[in-house]
Amino acid sequence: MATYLPKTGVISWLTTVDHKRIGILYAASAFFFLAFGGIEALLMRTQLLLPNMTFLSAEVYNGLVTMHGTTMIFLFLMPLIAAFFNFLIPLMIGAADVAYPRMNALSFWVFLFGGLLLNYSFIAGQVPQVGWFAYANLTSKVFTPDHSVDFWILGIQVVGLASLISSINFFVTIVNMRCKGMSLLKMPIFIWASLVTQILLFLSLPVITVALIMIATDRTFGTGFFDPGVGGSVVMWQHLFWIFGHPEVYILILPAMGMVSEIIPVFSRKPLFGYPVMVYSVSAIGFLGFAVWAHHMFTTGLGAWATAFFSFATMLIAVPTGVKIFNWIGTMWGGQIRFTTANLFAISFVCMFTIGGLSGIMHASPPIDYHQHDTYFVVAHFHYVLYGGAVMGIFGGVYYWFPKFFGRMLSECLGKWQFWLYMIGFNMTFFPMHFLGLQGMPRRNFTYAPDQGWELWNVVSSLGAYITAMGGLVFLVNVIYAFWKGKRAPADPWDGRTLEWSLTSPPPEYNFAVAPEVSQVDDWWYKKYKPVSSSGSGQLEKVEDPPYQPDVEDPSSIHLPNQSFWPIVLAMGITVIASAFFFPVSGLYVAGTGILITLIASYGWSYETP
Amino acid sequence: MVFASYFDDAPLKFSPGMEQSPMYTLVGITDWGRDIMHVYGLTTLIVTFVFFAVLIPTVYVLFKFRARGEDQPLPEQVKGNHVLEIVWTVIPVILLIMIAVPTWQSIFKQDRAVKAIERGGQALKIEVIGYQWWWEFKYVDYDVVTANELVLPENTPIAFSITSYDVIHSFYIPRFGGKIDAIPGKINKLVYYSPPLSDNASAMGDYYQGQCMELCGLSHALMRFEAVVKSKEAFQKFIASHNTPPQVKTEKEKRGEVVFNQCMSCHTIAGTPSADLEIVKIGPDLSNFGNRRTLGAGTRKNTMENLRNWIRNPLAFKPGSLMPKFDLTDEQIEDVSAYIQYSTAKDL
Repeated sequence: MATYLPKTGVISWLTTVDHKRIGILYAASAFFFLAFGGIEALLMRTQLLLPNMTFLSAEVYNGLVTMHGTTMIFLFLMPLIAAFFNFLIPLMIGAADVAYPRMNALSFWVFLFGGLLLNYSFIAGQVPQVGWFAYANLTSKVFTPDHSVDFWILGIQVVGLASLISSINFFVTIVNMRCKGMSLLKMPIFIWASLVTQILLFLSLPVITVALIMIATDRTFGTGFFDPGVGGSVVMWQHLFWIFGHPEVYILILPAMGMVSEIIPVFSRKPLFGYPVMVYSVSAIGFLGFAVWAHHMFTTGLGAWATAFFSFATMLIAVPTGVKIFNWIGTMWGGQIRFTTANLFAISFVCMFTIGGLSGIMHASPPIDYHQHDTYFVVAHFHYVLYGGAVMGIFGGVYYWFPKFFGRMLSECLGKWQFWLYMIGFNMTFFPMHFLGLQGMPRRNFTYAPDQGWELWNVVSSLGAYITAMGGLVFLVNVIYAFWKGKRAPADPWDGRTLEWSLTSPPPEYNFAVAPEVSQVDDWWYKKYKPVSSSGSGQLEKVEDPPYQPDVEDPSSIHLPNQSFWPIVLAMGITVIASAFFFPVSGLYVAGTGILITLIASYGWSYETP
Repeated sequence: MVFASYFDDAPLKFSPGMEQSPMYTLVGITDWGRDIMHVYGLTTLIVTFVFFAVLIPTVYVLFKFRARGEDQPLPEQVKGNHVLEIVWTVIPVILLIMIAVPTWQSIFKQDRAVKAIERGGQALKIEVIGYQWWWEFKYVDYDVVTANELVLPENTPIAFSITSYDVIHSFYIPRFGGKIDAIPGKINKLVYYSPPLSDNASAMGDYYQGQCMELCGLSHALMRFEAVVKSKEAFQKFIASHNTPPQVKTEKEKRGEVVFNQCMSCHTIAGTPSADLEIVKIGPDLSNFGNRRTLGAGTRKNTMENLRNWIRNPLAFKPGSLMPKFDLTDEQIEDVSAYIQYSTAKDL
């Protein structure tokens, strides 16, 4: 059927079902949206540079607050993580592709179109202004009569669908497609983090899906789920949102923890300290992550017993998290630490995440939270977790796996410049926000008064943001330089421990010519390092020629899933259905068109040779 | 635009003196506030201890175990240590229990205080209602309604019932304790003793700043208020004088009184026909406006100039404000400002 589709050029990218290419598409889109989110942040920091500034209007600022949060979480971090899942999961478990290659393509295109739909609000001039959490009933037709909230609801709905599809795909892939010998407790720790993340995703996303449908029907058909005037409850929205929203935090942080747990052992030349305990910790964090959502809602008046319960459950999460931090230190203890850019980012993850975790313990205690909630202290806290934590950890992953993705090395010199600009800029921006929070400065304020004593730390914070932006530019230069003149990457540039390093860089389309077989965690490492036979002291020595994956003489002899146009068409159909909400009169016709496209695409998809 | 900015201008102070901030969160001067500070201080200590317990080994490791040259023999391949792992599981649990116990004590103490009032305990009952973007305070036992300036007697148990007219707001006076949300369709309760008068209290009392803390729409940033703690006698005077009719003294104020008829559908001044309308008023009560320190929900000083500018174009002052720009001549604005400003000033 689709075998006539070209293997190179634009069409090949539109129709690809290769997990590595989809991973690259995810990463490219994530950084595209990062530009949006980053510029939004810089504009906000400029508005807050000094009190009483009129650089941005209230309307624009509230729009930027909303879009910055939504973009960074749904359109930058989640797809960037999905890029790593796509690229790495099959390679690390020794599989040829993911379980459902066309669904994989579908989830990417659905994500991309959802992100574009959300950002179309800028072109339409109706930017959502309700915050990334969109608390009811500010989102109701009465308080937001225009379509801005609809862009948010439907954009998130479509993007969420993408994550739901991919989470099922990756879950099945990890459960079913591991190579011979890789039992669950022999999986790389990053795969463990991925597995738990997929479970969190497909358990939590349906909740936000339903909540978004409720609010869409509230707005479009007047159902009143969240309208206190007709017996609805505004607090209900917060429960639904955070039952999704809190696991979402772990969805963002667990993969970064997984990456750091791969990077630190490699650059310490030691195995991960306490692998089984790390696995239990990841699972415990994932499990407890579902029992703490209401700590975002202490000030809504939950009642004493609920407050006490959610407070203690939240504190409990600190235990497995603390274990992980000490285990990372234990991994480095006694090792030979190489300060490559990737490792610098990974180590900074451990430090920044610790600070974010400790401030998190403070507002796990409701009386303290009554002060810190909705002040800049919380802004500082979650940026230390999600930016100093997740983003820095993932940048470690970017520097570590870039050679495997593209077959080129990123410049270490530029990388270290980026790292230090990020570290200095990040801490300058967000550490002073702790002080602003203690001074009672509220979040999401488009301006502030000069009689509050908030000038000093706001100036420092804004300057820090500009320094970070320079770091971002250095990264852009680094990537362009790598493609233009970067050093060719060998198969195993870092002396890695997991299966992907036994492949050429970049890996061939079919991944493994010979099905790999493993007998322990970090099997590839122990294929490179064997015990010195004579002594029996357990001392390891590098073997002469590690068993890299061989080339295949005739790649066409290996069966690969065919390229397909249907995923992108189906994604378009879904997006058209979602956009029907914007047409009050002709909405049914638009929805009908979308449903028709979806049906045709599903039909074509079903009868296509995979 | 009438204003170049949203708040009164003041010289910039790049001072790190945090405790001078009107919203500084690390002092509690009520019983509830002090309880919170107790938990806060203990938790800060524990968290600081853990911070150094992570920092010191990390710095040591990074320095001591850095790679020295290429092609070193492999370091010892340690895979874990059960004793150590149990130690750094158990110690955090102990530390967390040390935080959790006083946390719970504080939560249930506030809960007991609220329940005691519900069972008929004595307290000054105040209803707090959030509006986009200002605050209403109702003294239910005295039939007194005021806005944006919460007047409290010193050393008195206060029972707040907090709710909202439109969207979610959050009621927060940092020096008195934490914040609690004002939620439409829900009433949140809060009970504490108002603080005593301070040594350097002004004739009007002690002023404490508060602010809305939950994103509530366009002008969320412009939704402040002030709490004033007065002596018990001064508080009784405030209550007694609040609903007396305004004292219209000059010709200007008389003309302004007529102009104010246009304001009646949203604003009330006690003792005038505006108080007799049986409708829900969506604008702040102005009965004692002349006594208030600020206008525009705590955003600007209550001066004639600010008031005139506000009436001239409320939307420049507060984006999205429900108060429209009225078609008034400069003279009418002058008159009505004089009426609102001078006639409502009670003799306290």
